[in-house]
Amino acid sequence: MAKTMTLNICHLYPDLMDTYGDKGNIITIQKRCKWRGIDINLTNITIGQSLPASGFDLYFFGGGQDKAQTIVGKDLMKKGQTLKKAADNGTVFLSICGGYQLLQKYFKTKTGEIIKGIGLFDAYTVGSDNRMIQNLMIKINPELEQEIKSVYQTTNYQLPTTNLVGFENHSGKTYLGKNTKSLGKVIKGAGNNGEDKTEGAVYKNAFGCYLHGSLLPKNPHFADYLISKALERRYGKVKLKPLDDTLEWQAHNSAMEKAKE
Amino acid sequence: MAFVIRFFGGGATAAPGLIALKIDPNLVRKLNKEITFGSVIISGTNGKTTTARLIYDVLSTKYKVIHNRQGSNLLRGIASTLISQSTIPGKLKFDLAIWEVDEATLPESIKNVYPKTIVLLNLFRDQLDRYGEVDSIRVKWQKTLITLPKDTTLILNSDDPGISILEKSHKGKTIFFGVGDNHVRLPEVTSVVDVKHCLICGANLIFSAQLSSHLGKYRCSNCDFKRPTPNVSAVNLNFKPDFSTSISLNANGQTLNINYSLPGLYNVYNILATSATASLYKIALPTVKNKIETFSSAFGRFQRTKIQNRELLTFLIKNPAGANEVIRTISKLSKNNLLVILNDKIADGRDVSWIWDTDWEILKDKTRDVFVAGTRCFDMALRMKYAGIGLSKNNIYKEVNYSILSTLKKMSNKNTLIVLPTYTALLDVQKTLNRIGEDVTKWQKQ
Repeated sequence: MAKTMTLNICHLYPDLMDTYGDKGNIITIQKRCKWRGIDINLTNITIGQSLPASGFDLYFFGGGQDKAQTIVGKDLMKKGQTLKKAADNGTVFLSICGGYQLLQKYFKTKTGEIIKGIGLFDAYTVGSDNRMIQNLMIKINPELEQEIKSVYQTTNYQLPTTNLVGFENHSGKTYLGKNTKSLGKVIKGAGNNGEDKTEGAVYKNAFGCYLHGSLLPKNPHFADYLISKALERRYGKVKLKPLDDTLEWQAHNSAMEKAKE
Repeated sequence: MAFVIRFFGGGATAAPGLIALKIDPNLVRKLNKEITFGSVIISGTNGKTTTARLIYDVLSTKYKVIHNRQGSNLLRGIASTLISQSTIPGKLKFDLAIWEVDEATLPESIKNVYPKTIVLLNLFRDQLDRYGEVDSIRVKWQKTLITLPKDTTLILNSDDPGISILEKSHKGKTIFFGVGDNHVRLPEVTSVVDVKHCLICGANLIFSAQLSSHLGKYRCSNCDFKRPTPNVSAVNLNFKPDFSTSISLNANGQTLNINYSLPGLYNVYNILATSATASLYKIALPTVKNKIETFSSAFGRFQRTKIQNRELLTFLIKNPAGANEVIRTISKLSKNNLLVILNDKIADGRDVSWIWDTDWEILKDKTRDVFVAGTRCFDMALRMKYAGIGLSKNNIYKEVNYSILSTLKKMSNKNTLIVLPTYTALLDVQKTLNRIGEDVTKWQKQ
C-alpha cells in the first residue's frame, strides 16, 4: 500500500490578513487533499511567532485591512529571509491582495510614504485614488497553461479553459520588474494596475494576485496545480486522483458570465 | 415647497426626497431644525432596522414620532419622510424623528439632521466593495462626532471596542449598553473578528469574554483602554427552541425580566440599544417591556409565514457577522430544511467572497433538505459542498420565485423551511410569498 502523503501548509497571519474571504482557499486545499486521502498539517503563524526555517510545502498569505497590513509588514521583516529562501527552493506560495503586496519590494502610499516589503517578487505597488473593484478574469500565462493542462484531471469534465476568475478590490497599483512574469493577462477587470493588462506575479512556484472570490474553490485546476506542485517537493511528480468538479466549473462559468457583463 | 412635492411625489420611497433635495439642498437641514424634540439617528452594520422600529414603538408612547420606515436610509429617504409628514404650509405633524442611517452616510446625515441622540450598534465587515474597510468607516465617524455639540447624547455598545472607543471623540454625554453574561448558550461559531488591536495604542486586545465576533469583555494588554461598564445591561440570556428569548434587563437601577419573540444574541443588543434610548427619553421600564414583548420583527429580519400548511422562517443574511449569528441561532434545531439565496446585485454586494468567511460548517449535521438559489447559486452550492453539507444537484436554482415553489413541493408537509436570502433576494421572496398567499386565499374562497 502506498504511503499516505502529507502536505504541510503554513497560513501566514490568518488572524490579521483575513478580511476578504480568502480563507476559502485554505478550505479548498484541505478538502481537495482530504478527498484524495492526503493528510494536511495546517500551521498558523502570526505576529511575534517565529517561523520554522523549513518544512512547509505551501504558504498562504491573504488580504487584510490597511492598518493590519502595516502591523504585519513590520513583523514580516523578521521572517523575510526564511520566506525568500523557501521560495528560492521552489516552495509553493499563494498570496493575494495585501499578502501579495507585502511580498513585493515596497508599497508607496498616496502620501509618498514607503512601506518596505520582503522583495520575494520583483515588483512594487503605488497607492492610488481610484479603487479597482469588480469581477476579474484573466488568461493564465502560456507556460503555466501547459503545466496546468498536464496536471489537472477531472472525472467528468473536459478542462474547458485555464482562465482564472475572481473579484478584485484594491487601490494599490502594482508594477512588475522587467524580468518578472505575470500570472496572466487581463481579459476583464483591472489586474495589477489597470494599465498594462498584466495580473499577478510568478516567481518559481510563488504566486501573487488580486483574485478574491475565494479564488481556489471556483478555479479547481489552479487549486490542483498548487497541490501537485507542493507535493512534488517531497514526493516527486504526483498524479492526483481526479475529482468530480462539475459544481466547481459551474461556479467558474457563472462567475465568468458575471465578469463579462 | 414641501407640500408641493408631496402632492406630486406618489408612493416611491426616495423619489420625492430626491426631487426636493434638487430644488432645495438644505431642505433636510431646515425641517430638522424645527422638530421640537429633535432627532435620533441609528446606525451600525447589523440591527439598525430592527432597532429603529423598536425605538419607534417605545418612543411613540410619549411623542409624535416619524421614522424613515421604508428602509430608504439615504438622505433622500429622510427628505421623503419629512415631506410626507408635513402639512401645508410646511408645518410638521410630529415632534420627534427617528432616522435609520447607513454606515457610509452617517457623517452626511449628522451634518444635516442635528441629532439630539445618536445610537451606534456595531461595526463589522460588510460589503467591502461598497463600504470599504471597517477601520476607514470608523475614522470617518470619529471626524464627524468630534464636531458635535455638547448637548448631543451618544448611545454606544460597550461590548464592541470599535464602537465604545467613539466616546473619546465626543464632548457630551455617553450612555453604554452591553451584555453582562460571560457566555451565551448558543453553539460556538468560528467568527470573523474585525477589531483585534487596541484602537488607541495598537497593542493586542485581551478578551475575557467573547460573545460574538469582536463583541465581549476586552481590555488592552498595554494601555488603559477597556470595555466601559454599561449603564443598561442584560444578563441571564435564554434562547429558546421556538426562537423566543428571555433576558433580565437592568436599567436605572431597576431589573425586569423580559420575554420576547425575537431570536439570537444580535436581537439582545437591539433591545439593549432600545432600552438605553428609552431611559434617556424617560420612558418607564414597564412600558419598554410591554413594547418589546409585543414587537413583531421588521421585514425579513425574522419572519414567520404560513404557506400551504408549511411554516417558513425568513432571516436576512448580508455579511459574515450577521450570517454567523443567524446560523448559530438556527443550529439549535437538528433537522433544518434550508433554502439559501445568494444574489450579487449592488445592494447585496457584488463580491460574494464573504460566504467563505461565514461558518456554514456548523450546520453540517443539522440539515435535512438543502436548497440554494440566486444569481450566484453555484457559488453558494460550492460553499455548501466544501462545508460538508449535502446538496442535490437538483436543488440548485437560479430563479428565486421558482426555487421557493419547487422547494415547498419537495418538502414533506409538516416541516419548517428556513429561508436565508441576501437583501435583493429577500425582496423577491416577499413578492413570491405575497403572491402564493393570495393564490391560497383565492383558492380557499372558491
